[in-house]
Amino acid sequence: MTTATAQATQVFSIAIKATPEAIWEAITTPEFTAKYFHGARITVAPDHYHSLGPDGSVWGDAEVFEFDPPRLLVHGWRSLYDPELAEEPPSRVTWEIEPQESGYCMLTVTHDQLDASPKTAANIAGWTYIISSLKTLLETGVPLPR
Amino acid sequence: MADDDDAVFRALADPTRRHLLDRLYERDGRTLTELESELAMTRFGVMKHLRVLEDAGLVVTRRSGREKLHYLNPVPIRLIHDRWIDKYTEHRVSALAELKTQLEDTA
Repeated sequence: MTTATAQATQVFSIAIKATPEAIWEAITTPEFTAKYFHGARITVAPDHYHSLGPDGSVWGDAEVFEFDPPRLLVHGWRSLYDPELAEEPPSRVTWEIEPQESGYCMLTVTHDQLDASPKTAANIAGWTYIISSLKTLLETGVPLPR
Repeated sequence: MADDDDAVFRALADPTRRHLLDRLYERDGRTLTELESELAMTRFGVMKHLRVLEDAGLVVTRRSGREKLHYLNPVPIRLIHDRWIDKYTEHRVSALAELKTQLEDTA
């Protein structure tokens, strides 16, 4: 992870055996996100994205650009949990939920507009863990241990 | 279906495909033309390999204007890691971690 330059657009995709509605609920309600998103309680309203860390501090506060349940969510991203990252300009996160055959959905998370935010870009490989844990939570009822 | 260990192992079992993943790891969001220029292989050959990677979920494509960009998706490798690596290494690693703690505590 040390030699590669961080990418301005990063894509993370996973197949989850769950309904689009269940996945939408899991990414937009704080009771759910607390279980797989490093303990963050995330609230998503049609116009606002808000994330609280387990200690109650603000981890994320951003605009919602698209709110189309249970298919598409686009919101801004600021890494307020880290003072150094918080100084960088906002970037953008897109969640796409696409139903597949046999009860699966494809969930794709695209984090982009990171051109001016190299430190944030270098830091967001954590999406891999977050959406793997989301899959495990939805399919088994228990998140990944960490 | 992308949720398939077999497809991921099969995709990773080829040196050209691993090379393509390494290229995307260095710089993501590349076109077929860019990827092709680094390989001694026909455009059609590279396309076939990218197709296998895409079917396994290791590569995700995005349209940007007239271009098709290829992105590395690290998630299937993470799932393989969770399922196949963690399980066999966890015990040994934690035994070593314990040994380290013991040795350092008594030192």
